[in-house]
Amino acid sequence: MSQLNLKRLEKSFNEARIIKGIDLDVAEGEFVVFVGPSGCGKSTLLRMIAGLEDVTEGQIEIGGKVVNDLPPVQRGIAMVFQSYALYPHMTVYENIAFPLRVEKLPQDEVDRRVSAAAKVLQLEPRLKHRPGQLSGGQRQRVAIGRAIVRQPKIFLFDEPLSNLDAALRSEMRIELMELHKRLGSTMIYVTHDQIEAMTMADKIVVLNAGEISQVGSPLDLYHKPDNIFVAGFIGSPKMNFINGKVRSADGSTVSVDLGKLGVLSLPRTSTSVAGQEVTVGIRPEHMQLGAGEFTISTMPNIVEHLGIHTISYSTLPGGENFIGLFEGNPAIEDGKALDMSFAIADAHLFDSRGLAVY
Amino acid sequence: MTSTRSATLFAFALLAPALIYITVIVAYPLFDTVLLSFTNASLKQTYDFVGWTNYLRIFGAGNFTDVIIRTFVWTFFSVSIKMIIGMCGAVLLNAAIPGQTLFRVLTMPPWIVPMAIGIFMWGWMYNGQFGMISGLLQNFGIVNGPVAWLAYGNTAFWATIITDVWIGVPMVTIYFLAAMQSIPKDLYEAAWTDGAGRAYRFRRITLPLMVPAIITMSLLSLIATFNSFDIIWILTQGGPSGSTTTMIIDTYKTAIGSRKYGEGAARAVVICIFVSIFCLAYFRAVRRLQQGEAK
Repeated sequence: MSQLNLKRLEKSFNEARIIKGIDLDVAEGEFVVFVGPSGCGKSTLLRMIAGLEDVTEGQIEIGGKVVNDLPPVQRGIAMVFQSYALYPHMTVYENIAFPLRVEKLPQDEVDRRVSAAAKVLQLEPRLKHRPGQLSGGQRQRVAIGRAIVRQPKIFLFDEPLSNLDAALRSEMRIELMELHKRLGSTMIYVTHDQIEAMTMADKIVVLNAGEISQVGSPLDLYHKPDNIFVAGFIGSPKMNFINGKVRSADGSTVSVDLGKLGVLSLPRTSTSVAGQEVTVGIRPEHMQLGAGEFTISTMPNIVEHLGIHTISYSTLPGGENFIGLFEGNPAIEDGKALDMSFAIADAHLFDSRGLAVY
Repeated sequence: MTSTRSATLFAFALLAPALIYITVIVAYPLFDTVLLSFTNASLKQTYDFVGWTNYLRIFGAGNFTDVIIRTFVWTFFSVSIKMIIGMCGAVLLNAAIPGQTLFRVLTMPPWIVPMAIGIFMWGWMYNGQFGMISGLLQNFGIVNGPVAWLAYGNTAFWATIITDVWIGVPMVTIYFLAAMQSIPKDLYEAAWTDGAGRAYRFRRITLPLMVPAIITMSLLSLIATFNSFDIIWILTQGGPSGSTTTMIIDTYKTAIGSRKYGEGAARAVVICIFVSIFCLAYFRAVRRLQQGEAK
């Protein structure tokens, strides 16, 4: 059942349109991640759902009820802020109990709910401490605790891990996923980190300049990006793009002239791309060493040996940067010619507007 | 060895201006005042050391104890009212209302107008025959005839407090406003998301987080108000019948008015002791607050 519906949602600050007509359905219990570059409007969208920003146009429905004009507390949401927004003068207990104090719940009920949240979040030994005495991860847990005690329908997370170091971030990522499993609540999570998006989401919403670029499961987005923006945003290292021109498109094959790299024939049924300037995309991890279905000769400028992977950075004759990622520790060096190849099935094709061609 | 010595000399050379300044402007006058307080210095060419006589006289006479109590009462009310109005002003100026900048600018005049001019203006407003306050109250039928607010002990006492508050409030307001604006917006948003109304947010977030600013400002204001001279001197010169004579006024009257330099110095030393206690309290509070922040 759909729990959150956004219908033609728009937000403008004076003349600037920040959110440009967003339609989205979120099912009950789903973990949805809004991802996109800085300034794409993902935090604004989340704040609109929370009720912290007014809606300029369109509708927000939660549980089938339009909530545009309702204050946050009546929307059945709880929000975890990027800065954690903990009250520095209150103990961990009082921070978690804050929403319950506002509701004027009896003390035994407050005790019960705070204890339950503290147990889930392993904060029991810390209840008497102040936020200033906690580590970043613990502060984050307190912020989540404050959200849990309200027993909301929807949890909203605004870049909650961005203030943590890399190790703690991956630890907290797992904790959040476990929490989602345990509570079974709907969670909407904003991040600019595509690894967080890929690992945590049931559904990713990729936003670009106030519009949805694509909605789908992490693997859908990885394997079948709808457009060049999503293709470039999802995946690390970033997908390689090579500019070319379509020589022929006969309904079964599209032949792309890649200049000095040769002609690449891709199985595509589209004929509309005939004669167009197009872009071929290939992920670095889909490159193989040596000759193959389509071979590219490169001269790596830099080679990174990461133990588990080796990454080569080179420049193609057309001036495009080209990255190859290979398993293990093959004997490649910068400044030494290197042939690499990819399978035709792994190549992506984007037309002159940047849309995927199938 | 030589380089160490020249480095020490260089350090002293750098410190010299500050050391000379403190010695000439602070240390010597302070030392001389303490010395003077043990003498019977007056306009005569010579004077003798009289030991604790001056101190025994000012505390024994009873009058000075009254002055001390009056000074504390005057200071207490003035500082408290400044804090309360300053806090209310900061809350109002912090509210997102149209014309916010204009209102912020409008709080400044009492601070910007030269103090003496502001005080003379209040002096005229308190005037019974021509004063605005008496005139308005008569127009509204609150008082029957002209009231010269500075002519009676009780009203003069409060009139001087009101003027002191008028002059002191802008600084308190701006200071509180700055402290209020340094509270992260996220905290209010989080509280609002949890259903906390305006008053609840003020009581549970703003006020507790303002405690360091309130303590700091109260102590700074206490030190300045305790020594407030010009307002009382211009309005009442400590009168009528000593009803607005605070310690600083009393000291001035004794030392400069009656030319009893020795006794005046003893009074100044007592003021200095009180203010030093306030300063110590201030520095201790600042240190504790900094330690609290570090936690």
